[in-house]
Amino acid sequence: MKLMHTKLPDFIKKVDAAGKKLRPETEVVLRGLESMESAKLASLRVGRIEEEIVEITQDPNVAKVEVTVLPQIPETIHTVVIKGIQKDGTSKKTILESMFITTPAPECYYHDSEEVDDRRVSYD
Amino acid sequence: MAKLKYKIIPQGAAEGRVPINLIFIDKKDVVEAGLTYRQACEVMAKNFKEPAAIDIIDTDAVTVSSDGIMVDYAVVAFASIDYGMINRDFGYLGISEQAYSEKLLSEEPHMKQWDAIDAYRGKRLFRGPNFNDRLPRVAHNETQTITGRIANNNTGSEFMNVIDMTEILVPAYGALEIMHDGEVLVGLAGPEISVGIGMVVFETYGRIFNRSYGAGLTAHNSGLYAKTVKSDYPAIAGRKKTLAEYTMRALEIGLVPGRDLGCSPAVLSVAKAIGAPIAYDKIEERAWLELGTVGITEDWLKAPSKQLTHAEVLEKADEIVPGISDGKLFKVSQICDVRYAQI
Repeated sequence: MKLMHTKLPDFIKKVDAAGKKLRPETEVVLRGLESMESAKLASLRVGRIEEEIVEITQDPNVAKVEVTVLPQIPETIHTVVIKGIQKDGTSKKTILESMFITTPAPECYYHDSEEVDDRRVSYD
Repeated sequence: MAKLKYKIIPQGAAEGRVPINLIFIDKKDVVEAGLTYRQACEVMAKNFKEPAAIDIIDTDAVTVSSDGIMVDYAVVAFASIDYGMINRDFGYLGISEQAYSEKLLSEEPHMKQWDAIDAYRGKRLFRGPNFNDRLPRVAHNETQTITGRIANNNTGSEFMNVIDMTEILVPAYGALEIMHDGEVLVGLAGPEISVGIGMVVFETYGRIFNRSYGAGLTAHNSGLYAKTVKSDYPAIAGRKKTLAEYTMRALEIGLVPGRDLGCSPAVLSVAKAIGAPIAYDKIEERAWLELGTVGITEDWLKAPSKQLTHAEVLEKADEIVPGISDGKLFKVSQICDVRYAQI
């Protein structure tokens, strides 16, 4: 069954396969999804990313592909779930709190590339 | 060759106290160069490859400090630049002008300053961006620009490097002095400023908040910890007599801390010094708790003391106005260079 959304473990495998498609010895690094336990990714965009990874490796001198997934908004509000768990595994109380997190913006990851092709969605 | 004039307090300035490159551009210089505010920031990114925060300031406009005191300058646009770039969606933010209206004045009693103080009447007001100008940020985001390593937050007053973790605050009178080549007190913000910046006023599209909290309330609500939030954090503040002058203008037209103005340690201390009324019963318990941690109690404020004149307060401002630890006074010209970027 093909779905509109790709499971996270499948995305991870697809990224690796795309990077190694032209040359199996290519090193492929995927970062940014480590804290996600369960996620669905838009398949239309997964497909784009697979093609774009292959496109990056078309240069025969590319030895490594780094794929980094970052929030497009580098500063976002998060919910912190503080949950107390009893000895018997049940939970009597949770406190919810907000946290503002600012992370390094995408420029930190590509600033030393000679050419940058921005194909992201724009909301003008 | 067309050039854009800018001022920079470089990383390392003020005997190593300033950790981030801070760029200030006068609106007049942007106009003279034939640029929009956004274009001016793009020109800076092309010319200046190091990480930096940018504030574009209109010295003919007015804005409001976090505790509700009007100041005659305004940040009209701000940005973050790094690696010669500005983040496409979040690297720049233009501030919306706010129109004068009876409604604004009735909802925001501190804004009587705009009406009653001759120096401010008729000037254009800029505080924070409105809903549309904030996009694609929503209510769930801070009023912040970020590019690469540099975040420029709270409408161009709080600057951070998210990799080396350095930070610096430039409160209202600090920016004013920088634009007028005055003098600045550079040191650690200290506990009184930590408490003070939480004592905000109610504003629509304020520099930090939109229609939240109000005079007499604390936005920090951190009890005993309010005095620690920015206490170890460098700041470039204006001279204490500058703060005292602007605060007294608001008090002298009958505005009352706790009722109309924020109940910050600075505003309360100046009010006590000139014998101006304070709305003790409008200051919430949580705010008193925070004020108490820096020695500002109802008893202290009510204790008899010599009532000073406007001129006497200015003369004794360094003793009266709390805030800034380990501060050193610098002429702005000692820490700030004037440079030119190629357009």
